[in-house]
Amino acid sequence: MKETNIVNETGDAVISLEGVAFGYDPEHPILHNITLSVPRGQWVSIVGPNGCGKSTLVKLLNALLPKSAGEIVVCGQPLEEETIGSIRGSIGMVFQNPDNQFVGATVEEDILFGLEGLCLSYDEMDERLKLYTEKLGISHLLSKHPGELSGGQKQRVAIASILAMKPGIVIFDEASSMLDEGSRNELLVILQGMRDEGYTILMITHDADEILASDRVLALHGGSLAADLTPEELFRDQELLARCHLREPYPWQLARELQRLGIRTDVPASEKELIDTLWPYNYSK
Amino acid sequence: MAIQLQQVSYTYADRSLWRQTALHDINLSIAQGSMVGIAGATGSGKSTLLQLFNGILKPSQGTVQVLDVTIQAGEKAPRLLPLRRRVGLVFQFPEQQMFEETVEKDLIFGPLNFGMSPEEAKARARQAMTDMGLDLELLERNPFRLSGGQMRKAAIASVLAMDPEIIVLDEPTATLDPLSRAELIGLLERLCREQGRTIIIVTHRMDELLPYADHWALLKEGGLMFQGSGLALAQDPDILERCGLSVPQSLRYWHAVARRFGLEGEQPCLTADSLAERIALLQAEGMRDSHE
Repeated sequence: MKETNIVNETGDAVISLEGVAFGYDPEHPILHNITLSVPRGQWVSIVGPNGCGKSTLVKLLNALLPKSAGEIVVCGQPLEEETIGSIRGSIGMVFQNPDNQFVGATVEEDILFGLEGLCLSYDEMDERLKLYTEKLGISHLLSKHPGELSGGQKQRVAIASILAMKPGIVIFDEASSMLDEGSRNELLVILQGMRDEGYTILMITHDADEILASDRVLALHGGSLAADLTPEELFRDQELLARCHLREPYPWQLARELQRLGIRTDVPASEKELIDTLWPYNYSK
Repeated sequence: MAIQLQQVSYTYADRSLWRQTALHDINLSIAQGSMVGIAGATGSGKSTLLQLFNGILKPSQGTVQVLDVTIQAGEKAPRLLPLRRRVGLVFQFPEQQMFEETVEKDLIFGPLNFGMSPEEAKARARQAMTDMGLDLELLERNPFRLSGGQMRKAAIASVLAMDPEIIVLDEPTATLDPLSRAELIGLLERLCREQGRTIIIVTHRMDELLPYADHWALLKEGGLMFQGSGLALAQDPDILERCGLSVPQSLRYWHAVARRFGLEGEQPCLTADSLAERIALLQAEGMRDSHE
């Protein structure tokens, strides 16, 4: 286990944890002995039942919570008193409820607030504002009050204001749980775009479609790392799914139920594909 | 009818320059003892609609009839306190409303306020805990030391403790993990089927409620676009897209199978296992036909 991590670290690991623990009482740690590394540009889903320590884990990375043991290295810098500022600059966080992270009276002010904190020139600020609002399709909302926006629009504004600060790593903490299905699909498209641009993404989620779109799954259970595997491996492991309180995407469920009834079929990509596979000949009923 | 709305409109800040119509010309009937889903895009008026159901908001136009109480626009409302006990409203993130030092004290707060005796209130609290599938030992626990799912259920139990005939829930499963979501919907369905309570659920995850709801109401921009059975919805899923919602996968797969074999009149199979069984049956029929 340890061997492989050392190999990864010498590669292009952007985050690495070694024996990390967190807790108020050493007898009952909330997280214990977490060792893992994430290469640059990977999209990682963090899953597990409510209260297993997912949010705690990501908050340790930028010292929103202090680790009680172990080593954390982010972008080549060990997390220490002196490096907290620079590490925080390289990690952006998007929370469950975008209302909790609005500070400006308009969308424009909100996005600029973060940039002002970076002491950028006005030209640079304008440039980034223009670039990221266009990227996320919210240029027409700049003069709106955050209260006038829909849930999906708010989430876009929150993401734009984080991306404009150019963090290399973006953490989403159940960022889609308050969105309707349409907005969730939009978010997936945004994330795919971010992956293509080389962002490292850590995403805490329960959503099967989001997990499926990611590169790798870290499953937490009872404060430790229960599994580190691909989404496909996770969705084939019924026992692990049950332990993590998860369900596979609907087409996977359907394929599994069909197989149980002796009908052999792969996971269909669409309803049309299912029909075409099951009834290839156009016989009349 | 448990709830009947006739030509109801609701306008916020009606007498100001900033008046904003949230609902217009809603005609809606909800049968006693049914399980009803309400869906609509953000800002379509769902939350406004819910608050009309127990008189928190009064209609700007039209008539709202809830159980035997009629609230008519422009007229003085009748005494609403008894209605508030009979119609329980569970808002989003209800666990944020818990405030007492033990779960039991939180659960009996409402019943005591509505005039039940302490013994009766405690008995109701125990019943509500059982109905929500919670261990009675948790009654002595501080509500803030429960897990997220337990807290959510305990908060719903505190509304249930008032023994309401109608329970209205705004996004009760949001942010719960998939297993806890399915469990909660199952518990709510039992309250409906076994105890005859009317359950109304606002949701943006239609897939999890589709197999259970008897009736659906879809809102778009303050208007009622659709009301009818799950069967009617399954026959015309496109209506969802016209309301700015996407069609859940379970409904898409059923609709494709139903259209292929002309099963549109059948009760829809909206879970993976029921659809798989229906497909197995179709295949067996196909096999038999091709042998003949």
